[in-house]
Amino acid sequence: MDFIPHDDKTINEMLKELGLKELDDLFDDIPKDLLENQLNIPPGLSEPDLLDKLKKISRENKMYQSSFLGAGIYYHYIPSLVDFVISRSEFYTAYTPYQAEASQGFLQAIYEYQSIISRLTEMDVSNASMYDGSTALAEAAIMSTILTNKNIVIIMEGVHPEYIEVVKTYCWGQNIELRIVSQDDLMNNLSEEIASVMIQSPNFFGDIEDVAEISKNIKNSAPNCIIVQLMTDPTCLGVLKPPGLIDVDIFVAEGQSFGINPSFGGPGLGIFTTKQKFLRKIPGRLVGKTKELNGEREGFILTLQAREQHIRREKASSNICTNEALCALSALIYLLSLGSYGLREIATQNIQKTHYLKEKLALIPGYKILNTKPTYNEFLLKCPDIDKLIKECKINDLLPPLRISNYYPNMKNVLLVCVTETNSKDSLDKFLEIASKFKENIMGDS
Amino acid sequence: MYEIIKKVKNMDYNLPEDVKYTASHEWVRIDGDIGTVGITSYAQHQLGDIVFIELPNIGLVFEKGSHVAEIESVKAVGDLLIPVSGEIIEVNKKLEESPEIVNSSPFGDGWILKIKINHSDELETLLSVKEYEKVIESEEH
Repeated sequence: MDFIPHDDKTINEMLKELGLKELDDLFDDIPKDLLENQLNIPPGLSEPDLLDKLKKISRENKMYQSSFLGAGIYYHYIPSLVDFVISRSEFYTAYTPYQAEASQGFLQAIYEYQSIISRLTEMDVSNASMYDGSTALAEAAIMSTILTNKNIVIIMEGVHPEYIEVVKTYCWGQNIELRIVSQDDLMNNLSEEIASVMIQSPNFFGDIEDVAEISKNIKNSAPNCIIVQLMTDPTCLGVLKPPGLIDVDIFVAEGQSFGINPSFGGPGLGIFTTKQKFLRKIPGRLVGKTKELNGEREGFILTLQAREQHIRREKASSNICTNEALCALSALIYLLSLGSYGLREIATQNIQKTHYLKEKLALIPGYKILNTKPTYNEFLLKCPDIDKLIKECKINDLLPPLRISNYYPNMKNVLLVCVTETNSKDSLDKFLEIASKFKENIMGDS
Repeated sequence: MYEIIKKVKNMDYNLPEDVKYTASHEWVRIDGDIGTVGITSYAQHQLGDIVFIELPNIGLVFEKGSHVAEIESVKAVGDLLIPVSGEIIEVNKKLEESPEIVNSSPFGDGWILKIKINHSDELETLLSVKEYEKVIESEEH
């Protein structure tokens, strides 16, 4: 069937009804100078010329030999198996299943993804995934207000500042009050009016929080308060206690670390998990396993759809009716490739390499590690000369760490350093060598 | 499709005479100042296989017409609107484990909750079987 939305007759009828002469009259409000010469499209190119041009542009990308940048997106090794599987056109070209039961292959992949995430986190239920970690956190905030019928959400300091912006956007117009609270002020802010407390651990500054202890204290003074934990690099689950074994009600994470390239900061993968008792309020899609009526063959279906917006409409806890299918598949293949032993090995390497660098840096005069709590693969480093250090890193083919004053202007001369298993010992020693060049000179000479 | 519609039209909903109805497909059986509330056979048929019922807490007081429970089927969600104002004194705990009783016995074991009626004059606003049959008829056309 052709898709012809309007023919001349209907267009003219509508214009007449509106009292307009031509279509362009609809755009009268746009200043003329913005419309003129807007589409400056050069003449077409031949295919070889076009490829040549695109290659030239792509060569302007700076590829670094090693990265010290984290802050939400991480460089981890991606097993070749991941790209091999997700590049199959059956998966690559598909979208989240709408005519669901016709897509048994993808439904099974999502079911396996849900199962493996559920096992990894020890949470009862995982959905089919969401856009990314930040939107998953925002969905958790909204879900907590629906579960508790309260409208105040506490965000602990240490949650990624960009995630807080996304939560603000999602909660805008929904009558949800967000409070950003430091750990010292948390207990003073708790009351029966609080829907949830959202904690990131390991947090934006690299600290591993004692979530079990914090949630115990919260539940003591506000038993119905929902505890939300966020992780931006869940490879740490290879060694850290899973959220399902401590009193976390909703666990969300950015799943980019599971086999997805950092690219230019996306696409990500929103991991969303919760307890069985909250199953009917979980946002997003869920895939279930079932049997044929005669019980002979097993199959996969979208289940509990009556929670979703296309059925429950304004009463749904979310307007998401999709998932991040290909990225979820990447995470599944990544985790299957590693296995539990492999993931523990990755996490251990992240810790060991990070701590090697952290301890050596602390010995260089003028450098100071600001974290007082245990860290995973990120830490805060106060530097004597941050500008020179960043410049020298780039010259030496190292992607420099994040300048944290980009987010916290008061924290001058502080870097958020990230080390993963992809950093070789050579690259760590190179970083140390550069750092030593700009150490504080106690003797006063240069 | 035509066959299905025809079948629905000719269905016998076995509407009992001893209860009062609402246009939103609830029923209430009066016993003194206690009212037992459920959804009608027509409503359960429209919803299909019921998989979950979210019941209200005992002790809550509701105004006539307000939403007290949610009835979820495989493909839809319906609200239970309370037929008359009152306080929830009992909910059908069996439905937590076996919500499908509402499908098999909407006017009997599939009752949903009991209320203590606050304003007995509200009962006069409810529908008789004859009036409710007309509601179903108009919805089926």
